[in-house]
Amino acid sequence: MDDMTTTAATTTTSVVRFESVTKSYGNVRAVDGLTLELHPGETVALLGPNGAGKSTTLDLLLGLKNADSGTVRVFGTGPREAIVAGRVGAMLQSGGLMDEVTVGELVKLACDLHPKPYRAGDVLARAGITQIADRKVNKLSGGQAQRVRFALATAGDSDLIVLDEPTTGMDVSARQAFWATMREQADQGRTVLFATHYLEEADAIADRVLVLHRGRLLADGTAAEIKAKAGARRVAFDLEGTIDEAPLRALPFLTSIDVSGQTVRIQSSDADATVHALYGLGVYPRNLEVAGLGLEQAFVAITAAEEATLTAAEEATRTPAEEATRTAAEEATSK
Amino acid sequence: MNSLIKLEITRALRNRKFLFFSVIYPSALFLLIAGSADSTTEVDGTGLTLPTFFMVSMASFGALTAVLMGNSERIAKERESGWVRQLRLTTLPGRGYVFAKTASAAVISLPSIVIVFVVAAAVKDVRLDTWQWFALTGVIWAGSLVFAALGVAIGYLASGDAVRPITMIVYFGLSMLGGLWMPTTTFPDWLQNIAKWLPTHAYAALGQAIELGNAPHTKDIAILAVSFALFAGGAAWLYRKDTLKA
Repeated sequence: MDDMTTTAATTTTSVVRFESVTKSYGNVRAVDGLTLELHPGETVALLGPNGAGKSTTLDLLLGLKNADSGTVRVFGTGPREAIVAGRVGAMLQSGGLMDEVTVGELVKLACDLHPKPYRAGDVLARAGITQIADRKVNKLSGGQAQRVRFALATAGDSDLIVLDEPTTGMDVSARQAFWATMREQADQGRTVLFATHYLEEADAIADRVLVLHRGRLLADGTAAEIKAKAGARRVAFDLEGTIDEAPLRALPFLTSIDVSGQTVRIQSSDADATVHALYGLGVYPRNLEVAGLGLEQAFVAITAAEEATLTAAEEATRTPAEEATRTAAEEATSK
Repeated sequence: MNSLIKLEITRALRNRKFLFFSVIYPSALFLLIAGSADSTTEVDGTGLTLPTFFMVSMASFGALTAVLMGNSERIAKERESGWVRQLRLTTLPGRGYVFAKTASAAVISLPSIVIVFVVAAAVKDVRLDTWQWFALTGVIWAGSLVFAALGVAIGYLASGDAVRPITMIVYFGLSMLGGLWMPTTTFPDWLQNIAKWLPTHAYAALGQAIELGNAPHTKDIAILAVSFALFAGGAAWLYRKDTLKA
């Protein structure tokens, strides 16, 4: 009896569940054994560089693509069933709009197609597009079109909202206004998942950040945890004469070091201690700079570190034939 | 789905260029071809006068224009823009999109048929029995479904820059070779042998049979039925392929 209750509870508390999901295009694995779970009410950023597999992950989640292997469940059912039940609202990066109709007509259509619709007037107001309701869809600016897409994604009372690079084409103030609207959605208890490469957005908005790289989940935690994981501060200075790297490498709390010409760049998880030890070496650092590490650098650092580990591990196990395939695949991706 | 159909119709009625080519253009072409002809000369081997013959040809041509152009270019364009993907995130069933497109094209094709009839009756004194007018309208309208299916198939087959030339080649090829612009009896024998198997030829032949007071030939109905099955089957196959890819 207890077991059954537990199972039911697990199913209902999981909004999205990916289990060992793989999706390839030819030789390229866009999503590679991805396992993740989203819980109700979370605002989650899916973060990664271009080609990391963000859009493919969202396509799989929305049932626009089928996984080669593994399972994708949304509210305990297949993606299509969840959409038909009106539980998912989504805004695609590649989502076109019907042209030759007005913004108002299009939003009205989205409301009509939703099983639990809101009033079209309210949807327009919430997306901040009431003033352009009479404008033709094909006459919109990039930022306005994004707001219309957002309106389509929020035309009804969905439990999960999925947004693929939602603020592309918006200026700074439009972006802030957009996220304010989005927070209201999250505050009503909705689960929000958004893909982005604006890293400050993930930092400012998400409760949880999923870092995706080469179709794999590299990190899963709060933005603060991810920053901590990568080393928090950057120290840069110049040295005169020949630089002896060995003592520099031995500095405490150092996570990475780069020496080019007379300039030394260090990442440190405790910059105060590192700088203190640096003076202890008897050198005279000039132009000393200590700066905070944004999520962007944190992200690059994690990616680079993981890549090195992965590459080392893979090279140890890989056969020459696999190597050839992989190189070809990588060339294809980089094109 | 009804709201999508409604919106598709609103939008088609707003597009002046599309309206001109599918509604006004066939009547204008009718006047251009049949305008100077007298009402007694018969078209070789048909038993119909020139105005009566071209009335059916142009009504068929108008309906063909509305459904073929309406479907192929728009579907290709909306596949490319991602609107089709966006619609897949709604409760609308996949076939609902194709259905709405075809329904709106059919709404445009009806006036294009009727206007050719009105012009022919008013300007060239074409006179038929009441049942013939109704039967002609019904047959030409229903027959246009064959080409609506062809339009859907092209819309899912081609994309971007390719769709317009492909549509144009199919459209002009079928119109001319099928005898919608000139009677196929003026063609050399070898071409006539090809033409009589084309769906557009069978399409116009339905109307011509009714004008002569006959039931349409079984062979023409069969050609249209087979064409419809081919086009609709091809469209369904291409649609499914596109869905997996997108």
